[in-house]
Amino acid sequence: MRSKLLTTLLALLFALPFVLLALLAVAPAWRFPAALPAAYSLGALRDLVAADNELLAGLGRSVLLASVVAVVATIAGFALARAITRAVRPGRWEALSYLPYALPPVLLAVLIQPFIIRLHLSGSVGGVLLGLLLIAVPFATLLLRSFWTQQAREYEQLARTLGCTARQALWQVLLPLAWPLLRTALFQTFLLAWFDFGLTNLLSVGKVRTLTVQVFTYVGEANAQLAAVASLLLLLPPTLLLWANKNALLRKTE
Amino acid sequence: MKPRNWLLLCYALLVAGLPLAGLGYALLGSVGLAGPLATGFTGRHWQALGADAGLLKSALFSFWIASVSLTLAVALALALVLGAQGTLRRRPFPTLLYVPLLMPSLVMGFYLFQLLSRAGWLSRLSFGLGLTHSVEGFPELVQDAAGVGIIGAHVLLLFPFLTLLFQAIYQESRLADYRQLAQTLGATPGQFRWRVAVPVLLRRAAPTLLLSGIATLGAYDIPLLLGRPYPQMLSVYIATRLQRFDLRELPAAYLAGFLVAVGLLGLILVLTRLTRRHAL
Amino acid sequence: MKNFLPLLTAATLLAGCDNQPARTPQQTLAQTWPQIEATGKGQPVSMQMWMGDPLINKYMSAYVKPELKRRYDIDLQISAGQGAGLAQTLAAEQQAGQPSEVDIAWINGETFYQLRQVDALLGPFVEKLPNARFLDLQNPFINTDFQQPVAGMECPWGNVQMTFIYDSARVASPPKSFAELPAFVKAHPGQFTIPNEFTGMTLLKSWMIALSGDPRLFQGKFDEAVYNKWSGELWKQVNASRPYFWKQGQTFPEQLAPLHQLFANGEVAFTFSNNDAEVDNKVNQGVFPATARAYVPQPGTIQNSHYLGIVKGAQHPEAAMLAINFLISPEAQLKKMDPNVWGDHTVLSLAALPPAQRQQFVQLPSRRYAPKREAIQDLALMEPDPEYMTRLFKDFRTQVIER
Repeated sequence: MRSKLLTTLLALLFALPFVLLALLAVAPAWRFPAALPAAYSLGALRDLVAADNELLAGLGRSVLLASVVAVVATIAGFALARAITRAVRPGRWEALSYLPYALPPVLLAVLIQPFIIRLHLSGSVGGVLLGLLLIAVPFATLLLRSFWTQQAREYEQLARTLGCTARQALWQVLLPLAWPLLRTALFQTFLLAWFDFGLTNLLSVGKVRTLTVQVFTYVGEANAQLAAVASLLLLLPPTLLLWANKNALLRKTE
Repeated sequence: MKPRNWLLLCYALLVAGLPLAGLGYALLGSVGLAGPLATGFTGRHWQALGADAGLLKSALFSFWIASVSLTLAVALALALVLGAQGTLRRRPFPTLLYVPLLMPSLVMGFYLFQLLSRAGWLSRLSFGLGLTHSVEGFPELVQDAAGVGIIGAHVLLLFPFLTLLFQAIYQESRLADYRQLAQTLGATPGQFRWRVAVPVLLRRAAPTLLLSGIATLGAYDIPLLLGRPYPQMLSVYIATRLQRFDLRELPAAYLAGFLVAVGLLGLILVLTRLTRRHAL
Repeated sequence: MKNFLPLLTAATLLAGCDNQPARTPQQTLAQTWPQIEATGKGQPVSMQMWMGDPLINKYMSAYVKPELKRRYDIDLQISAGQGAGLAQTLAAEQQAGQPSEVDIAWINGETFYQLRQVDALLGPFVEKLPNARFLDLQNPFINTDFQQPVAGMECPWGNVQMTFIYDSARVASPPKSFAELPAFVKAHPGQFTIPNEFTGMTLLKSWMIALSGDPRLFQGKFDEAVYNKWSGELWKQVNASRPYFWKQGQTFPEQLAPLHQLFANGEVAFTFSNNDAEVDNKVNQGVFPATARAYVPQPGTIQNSHYLGIVKGAQHPEAAMLAINFLISPEAQLKKMDPNVWGDHTVLSLAALPPAQRQQFVQLPSRRYAPKREAIQDLALMEPDPEYMTRLFKDFRTQVIER
């Protein structure tokens, strides 16, 4: 009973944004005190599609960029977390991992831009990738540091003692054990890249037109209906991705 | 050199290279030696610092927001992981917990503004139900003095993520087995929670918790939409200065950015040291 | 850390392969128009602009972009960027000694000032454009940008005037002048506020000029004494009215968009726009109620123009000139002025146009919710020196917000 109540409560809490955004997206001229919109229209969606004819290309770019960032960051993070555990001074390496976060994102983008320009990476995917990895790799590393405990190393040792090769130990012992954390890392770094506007727009001087770059500005503007449509456009692809992958994501938890 | 060291070396280049270069740029910018319209060395902006309490107030306000948000989110997540372990293992969890992670902060800010502002959806619903009788009758939940809206937004974003994290750690450290063991040995569930589970979860999640705290300190989109122009959170404070109409004001922005970054670095060093000591 | 430099060098070598032979700005500008046409055709052009309005974006991507492709085989790439961020990017590119990623920038007054500060503009180029002969360059609201002569360094694109927007369903008779504003606000508490950004500063500038009673005081270079006297009066009035502002004046919107949303949701009865036709645009999109109206209070508000500039380090300056020449052509200006398309007032002199085209401008569908241009032309004030805005922005914080 308590369990049902909790589930319902959280489901409602998490569904509410989607409900309100969906209502706002189809409701022109919805204002106080009307509890529900008086009229419904898809005008904002039409306007948004008409205003930009490369939303689909942007979607593709976003998926590609975010996937690359997620996979690279998670693999690197897993390896780095292990290397840090075995390093002479793991504490120092861990502290170093926080360095990119000492500069709040608005500041980081502005301060590294002059160097990205000097590296001849400004206006290109390379610069954007470098900027995003700068945030995503230490994030994954710190997150996956939680995995490499004494215990995990003992499991690895044990597997090797029992005759596993390094590769077998990795695939058959360590990865299954780390999977809950790995998928959180994958998911979070994917979203980190997916939703990034500031770094991507500034470092590419607006030229890497991901879906987020194309519609993000609408979210901050006056037109609430359009902002809701843009928000949903940003949310739906990762939601579908989550839904499609939920089995893959959750298979190993039981 | 061993391959592992190469890996760490590349990593050091990535995480230290650009941020330190940026930090150096900000320092040089603050004394007029870098940036557009660099005038040549001047200590003017550092001297002017004493007269301006804005940065300090921003820092204090940001600490308030970050500490309250993180505390509430951690408490909620712990309560879920320790109090509803059975529920969390069944469907629709944990898929459900991934859903809020899909909200970028700007969308969260926009959503809460539309939901909670005095002419927002909740106010309209309460007006329809006869609970309030005007726009002014609805309580001030966003753009309020204490930052309730900002805190709410961060808790909503943080607690599902922390629940997932704690749950992953709970499973992977076999805390369920420990619980059985503890119970066999005669410990009460409360003793297990407070003496075993909470310390293990907090200790192992410490790096990510610290990271979440730092990220909240540096939040931009949410306070921009749900906050007030005074006091501002740190990122908004810096961004306002970076976007001033007069480029001659830019060194002051670099200075503020430099101080914030150094302050956060100091904080990170202290906190990592603290968590490490506790870990040993 | 010592391994950092070799890596930088390697990355530089890898990336720096697309260098074209550099031309000096003088060489670029010395070309004749046929030469410019020949060089510019078939090139890409990247343009940075504010991209927050779908109608404006649609005008650019569904009309301008295909037209440029058809006429000159120019591939127009539009991206989001403006203001201080743009100025910092261009300055950083310049300092690195590299060609710019941007060719054209949409410039509003204060950005012109910043870009001149960092010397990031190519020009003078305007007189090279064949369509420049139609421009209304005798008009002081067009040939002068924040008291700085435009001098061919940026090309006028559109002209706008600040308006008050109110909901006529909630406010029967809005204050007709700045002098009536304090009494009105006191009688209607909670309905009025000042956004702490560009449009809000334009409002404060207009209010300050109204208080002085003499717009000529604010012409020419920044005058410390004039500023101190009249900003002092302004803060007195604002602070006296403040308890009757939205949320008792304890807070102000940080941006214009949230204020528009408060207005659209029915929480306040007033918002403002730097574009006199925006109210039509917003009502057409269903954002504002159809009862929204715009007007200009006595003795007037600031009118200014927005412009197109070519970046000094642009990689495709000729194509940029071709694009700008098209953007100020009578067809493109006519299309842009239609309130159903964008509603941005033209910078062309109708007298200079052939009669047939003049007729088309006269017959444009008219604004339904905004005042007619002729009605507010006498209520137009010149933009004062940029320093006035810089100081107002600083002092609004110290004298009002933080009190």
